[in-house]
Amino acid sequence: MNEYIVRFSVRQRIEHFSVMILFLALGLTGFAQKFVDSPWAIWTINTIGGIDRVRWLHRAAGVMFTVFAMVHISIALFMVLTRRSRPSMIASRKDFQDAITQLRYYLRISDNPARFDRFDYRQKFEYWGMVLGGMLMIATGFMLLYPVIVTRLLPGEFIPVARVAHSNEGLLAFLIVIIWHIFNAHLSPEVFPFDPSIFTGKVSREYMEKEHPLEYARIMREDEEKREAETDEAP
Amino acid sequence: MSWKLLQYSVLFAGLMLISAGQAAPASPDPPSNDDCLTCHGKPDASSKLGDGEALSLYVDRQIFAHSVHGGKLACTNCHTNITAVPHAARQFKDRRAMSLAYYESCKECHFAEYTRLLDGVHYAALEKGKEKAPTCVDCHGSHAMGPPARPRKQISATCAQCHVAVGAAYARSAHSDALAKGNADVPVCTDCHRAHDNANPLTTASHLRISELCAHCHTNEKLMAKYGISTQVLTTYLADFHGMTASLHRSEGLKSAMLTATCTDCHGVHDITWVKGPASGVIKANLLIRCQHCHKGAGPNFSSAWLGHYEPSLRHAPLVYLTKLFYMFFIPFVVGGLIIQILLHLWRVVVNI
Repeated sequence: MNEYIVRFSVRQRIEHFSVMILFLALGLTGFAQKFVDSPWAIWTINTIGGIDRVRWLHRAAGVMFTVFAMVHISIALFMVLTRRSRPSMIASRKDFQDAITQLRYYLRISDNPARFDRFDYRQKFEYWGMVLGGMLMIATGFMLLYPVIVTRLLPGEFIPVARVAHSNEGLLAFLIVIIWHIFNAHLSPEVFPFDPSIFTGKVSREYMEKEHPLEYARIMREDEEKREAETDEAP
Repeated sequence: MSWKLLQYSVLFAGLMLISAGQAAPASPDPPSNDDCLTCHGKPDASSKLGDGEALSLYVDRQIFAHSVHGGKLACTNCHTNITAVPHAARQFKDRRAMSLAYYESCKECHFAEYTRLLDGVHYAALEKGKEKAPTCVDCHGSHAMGPPARPRKQISATCAQCHVAVGAAYARSAHSDALAKGNADVPVCTDCHRAHDNANPLTTASHLRISELCAHCHTNEKLMAKYGISTQVLTTYLADFHGMTASLHRSEGLKSAMLTATCTDCHGVHDITWVKGPASGVIKANLLIRCQHCHKGAGPNFSSAWLGHYEPSLRHAPLVYLTKLFYMFFIPFVVGGLIIQILLHLWRVVVNI
């Protein structure tokens, strides 16, 4: 029996890595514009080579982010609809029950933490925050990039609305990543100092048993069934 | 008379003699104004220029006496090459050549203004051989010269002698209207363009300085309160896309860039009108035309993307205001929730130990 379980496919690892780089690029070039009054922003703009280049990079990264998002959503939809993959990210009633169970555990009302499947409610929250926030960033970003076209259909005031929303949503995404994602992937006692699974794709059985017991049980069951089937087929 | 006093008197007389003896033979007294006016005080005094034009040589004693230099300067202070009368006839190819021959006389006293002039666009033109470029006397006059900038509206009239079209545009402006009524608050040409060291207004650097020029008065609370004009115009401009771009381009010292809109691009360069007047370029009906100057193909909704120097509020741009308000609560709510989740998690980990 393997010591490790493959948790993330190569495609998922590439997706994470690309989004990570794009997120950093968008954050850097975006916040340099949002906080343009601060010295570090001026320094960043000058180091990159002027506001025109900063904006070009931001837009190029934004377009790439849009392409990645479209590809991701298309593939996810295709996989789920053709039943090649379980809809493991869909939020369900169990997630709300898990959140309450976990809260009771945190508050020491109960001593049994929630038992999670492939993704726990926190991971789903972050994923959907990313997807919905990303959609909003893409939509408002394109509104700001093409105001002439947008205002043929929408009122002019939507452009400054898009600017406020883009700027604040970007800040929110950044804060979530800094506080939440960095905690879960680096600082949390379970993974400290670094959870490499999204880069290697592998997690230990011990980790799976503890953090995603339902998924682990299912994997074990499926492996069992497969083995039984193989034994049956054998002459 | 005491012996001592006599000694001093002889010494003093001797010194007088020595100094007189040194000065007298080298240069005789320069001609006095009266000497000059013996000939130049005659109304029919004239001379023929190289191009055949007759040049009047007459100087009205009274006019000069009432000029700003009257009683202070002698003719020869400016006409330094005249050391004795009568003097040899001077030859100039035309009237302009004569003016150009004399304009450097002013720097003997007005050196600061002269050095500033050397940095200006007019001197640059003169240096390139453009003889029509103005020198001191073209703006200030010569024998009849009054104090500069009095009356103030004289300045615009002076510049308009050459800058005819600009002068006509300025005459249509709100600033010019007030100026004509004797209002000293409004800018005349030299307030924006400076008097001597006028920079070329068509360069990128000049374009990027415009908001600073306008803001000089338009952020002055006391001054603007008199007219009920908002002093938020600069901050609202700088906070928006155009203003941010302009100030960054300026700090980068950009020489050539796709210019971003500044005050004059919407409000007009010289014919700046009262924003609430019917002819205003920035009232909604006309603003779109200004936008389309850069944003080709912009539709009727486009111009309201600019909030017209208003801070978003429930009255002005309520959607923008509400979006701002939403995030003011939403960001702390989400981030606070995440922090609580993290702290609960850590606490339980510690408890389990």
